[in-house]
Amino acid sequence: MATVTDLNISEVKLSEEYVGKWGMFINQDVCTGCQACVAACSMENNIAFVGPEDAGYGRTMNWIRIERFWDGEYPEIKMTSRQPMMCQQCGHAPCEPVCPAFATVHSQAQQLNLQVYNRCVGTRYCANNCPYQVRSFNWRDYKRPEPLPNQFNPDVTVRQRGVMEKCTFCIQRIHQAEDKARSEGREVADGEFTTACAQVCPADAITFGRVDNPESLVSQLTKQYEGLKHLPELGTLSNVSYFKGG
Amino acid sequence: MSKNFSRRDFLKLAGVGATTTAILTGCGPASRYVKREPYMQMPEYTYNGQSTYYATTCRECAAGCGLVVRTMQGRAIKTEGNANHPLNLGKTCARGQATLHGLYNPNRVRGPIKHTRGERLYAFDEDPFNGDFPDVAANLSWDDATQVIADALTKYKPNEIAFLMGAAPDHLFDFVTDFTSATGLNAPIRFGALSMFEARATLSKAAENLFGETGLPFFDIGGAEIVLSFGANFLETWLSPLPYTRGFTGLREGKTKQRGYFVQFESRMSQTGGKADEWIPIRPGTEALVALALGRLAFERRGGALPRAFADVNPKEAAEKAGVEFETLERLAVLFADKAGALAIPGGAALGQSNGLEVAEAVLALNAIPDNFGKRGGVYLSALAPTETEYHRPASPKEMEEFTAKLASGEIKALFVHGVNPLFELPKALNFKAALDKVEQVISFATFPDETAVEADYIFPDHHGLESWGYQRVFTGSAQAILSGAQPVVSPFYDTRATVDLLLAAAQLVGGKFAGAVPFKDEVEFIQSKTAPLKNEANGFFSAVDLPTFNASFQQYGGWWKTESAFGAPNTEDVLNRDFDGAEPEFNGEGEFYLVPFVSPTLAEAGANKPWLQELADPTTTVMWSTWVEINPETAEELHIDNEDVVKIISEFGAVEAAVYKYPAIRPDTIAMPFGQGHTAYGRYAEGRGANPADLFSAEYNQAGDILFGGLKVKIEKTGKKLAIPRLESMMGVYGEGLGEE
Repeated sequence: MATVTDLNISEVKLSEEYVGKWGMFINQDVCTGCQACVAACSMENNIAFVGPEDAGYGRTMNWIRIERFWDGEYPEIKMTSRQPMMCQQCGHAPCEPVCPAFATVHSQAQQLNLQVYNRCVGTRYCANNCPYQVRSFNWRDYKRPEPLPNQFNPDVTVRQRGVMEKCTFCIQRIHQAEDKARSEGREVADGEFTTACAQVCPADAITFGRVDNPESLVSQLTKQYEGLKHLPELGTLSNVSYFKGG
Repeated sequence: MSKNFSRRDFLKLAGVGATTTAILTGCGPASRYVKREPYMQMPEYTYNGQSTYYATTCRECAAGCGLVVRTMQGRAIKTEGNANHPLNLGKTCARGQATLHGLYNPNRVRGPIKHTRGERLYAFDEDPFNGDFPDVAANLSWDDATQVIADALTKYKPNEIAFLMGAAPDHLFDFVTDFTSATGLNAPIRFGALSMFEARATLSKAAENLFGETGLPFFDIGGAEIVLSFGANFLETWLSPLPYTRGFTGLREGKTKQRGYFVQFESRMSQTGGKADEWIPIRPGTEALVALALGRLAFERRGGALPRAFADVNPKEAAEKAGVEFETLERLAVLFADKAGALAIPGGAALGQSNGLEVAEAVLALNAIPDNFGKRGGVYLSALAPTETEYHRPASPKEMEEFTAKLASGEIKALFVHGVNPLFELPKALNFKAALDKVEQVISFATFPDETAVEADYIFPDHHGLESWGYQRVFTGSAQAILSGAQPVVSPFYDTRATVDLLLAAAQLVGGKFAGAVPFKDEVEFIQSKTAPLKNEANGFFSAVDLPTFNASFQQYGGWWKTESAFGAPNTEDVLNRDFDGAEPEFNGEGEFYLVPFVSPTLAEAGANKPWLQELADPTTTVMWSTWVEINPETAEELHIDNEDVVKIISEFGAVEAAVYKYPAIRPDTIAMPFGQGHTAYGRYAEGRGANPADLFSAEYNQAGDILFGGLKVKIEKTGKKLAIPRLESMMGVYGEGLGEE
């Protein structure tokens, strides 16, 4: 896998300055681990539940999960700051070059890692290569008995067995906002819409917006809290910044 | 707006651009008739590809948060928080999101049913993911159902008829209250397992004893600088979790001050405790002592005459009994005494002990040191809802025992159950099942085939919350007085009927005093009769020239609230002028472990039938779909117990089995179990999954009438069985060492 040192420095800089780049800032200090984002994400994105057996094998389909680790031993023990983890929408994504079917490609317009379901042939190379472990694979056609499918979001594809999926930064919402702004002859305003996880978060731990715009709330917060990227040494140029706090 | 509303009128009124973002009013009662239609024949007012948004109220718990539901072509697609609603300001919890899995749950009661007690309400197969689970079909018409209720009303004497309802103070409760008081029936009783585990009776009784007036305290965490919480799980299911979570963000992020400090005293680290800067595992039963010791030390730090409340405690002894370092108490007392915005919160299992009332009073009394009562960052009395004159709390478990005794004595001949599932939510020790067997006629209005519906003679299903009209009083969490409004966001999916409509029809059928008691055409007319006086009240956040406009706005905005704060400042003259004996509680049982039962933060009392809630990782253990018992790893090693060994937990009053989860943040002398699973009915995703720790409880109560769920000592026995419990954490930590457990 490419690391920062392998890359041409100007190329790194260029991808940092791409226009139209969406990103997130996550304040772990206020995240309570309540799972509202996980539930909201699954409702918005038609994510299947897999049941206890497959869940036990680690096949849950969460696009976002809350990690919590332990620090110390009883009685001096602490839970580390809860860590919402989703696709980091890397600028240099390790998942992209390994796909033989070009199913996981980079969107020039939004600077996101796309997953094209009807190209995916299920090699799972991308999940294997993702250092954040945020991709999930449809091991089966997970059943959602009637009338549960009435709840499906018509803006989001329902995936089938053999297909890889992951967080899209709610690209359907991005498209909707962009289309609306375009029809009104303007730019998308900061905070005009947000992702399902950020919208629901009771603690306001997640902020979503354009990271290429220094005036946006997400850029401001990233600056104010000196937000850090996960595994920066891998040179993934992730679009999600974290403040651990604590 | 009328039913005959043409597309042309609609365009004129709304404008094309506005339809995607505006929240519609629901168009009066006509919106009931919004049908799900095939995509090829949509009604005129829906645009293909455009969503419609309706404001309503979440009915998953009793807090009363505002929702805006996205619907498309008559289907509810997504719930979001109502950004205007002062209680939740646009946010929801996981349960609010999963409410759609209730609406479209594959196991619902599909229509009115006459039913033999104990018979299944849906077929059940061992494998809930591949089997076929048809619901029992409706076998009555709604006319028959109306007749059944009318017969019950005439056949039995007024004092032989009782209503048992959920904890939510909603329009149905008001309707039944009006109906019963006008006709001489027994007044309705509200109950919910959450209020039992919050020990709400103890909390409000303590406030009453200290302040001399009834009310539920509200703790302004967001304005505080240091928070000492004695087991209060305010980031989970406690009272009203969304405003408290928002308060927690305020505590951490206070813009003009330092990051607030948060200390949690509890014997098992809860999700809330996991966010604390200091987690102090004191021995169960010593909460009052620790609070009093902190009070004395903080008072000494401040100087001045020691008040009666803290005079008798010996802080060093208290520290020793609680199993904490004296220096820790001293340090925290200094912090508490020196900071301006100090706040102490009572809650959790500590209140469910025999001295629970004293724990609540002692912790509340700590707030007298910074004298934060009625001030920012302090303790308020919750605002009363607009149509309310005094705080009305749900029944305590003790009152439920009295009610159960009335059923068992045969005094009650007809029981109407709505919005609560007592056979699951009440501890087994109360023996509700045996009492129910003595009741001649049990009529359930359950939306889902729950345990109580299985034991009913008739099930007349109410609509799901998202299909119904209503309002709900917000009992705590906001400074503003709020009446949260509800309207159907979709038409009823099954042949269900609003319970108010059914009771109205039955009352009309009986005639006489019953018909006269509730002279309304339908549910909507009743609701509007209750909300109409608000139109003329001052300081409402919207004003309306006439009643139809008011009603439309009430629906469109999702309720009515005031623009000014209605928080009460408690009367605090005598708070410190009282005696505390600091005695330790008595624990029931000979076992070697203290039992800490806690409400599952994601499932709570009624979430188990929603598959996505089941698959959410528990915030502390990351376990899904299961019940587990938490044991300190060292204790487990001593007992030669490993993860996923099934053990039997035995109290004097019952026994349950659960798989072990070695939990590193629990006292070695304590074990903990989540409440939320262990259903014997309630749909394919809930049934036969896990165990219910409430089966271990004894029917004994503290002075305020709360059950002693925190006062048990239990034994554990190995069973030799193993049970894999699915958890999320094992897939993590692939790269780094020591990140995950496995």
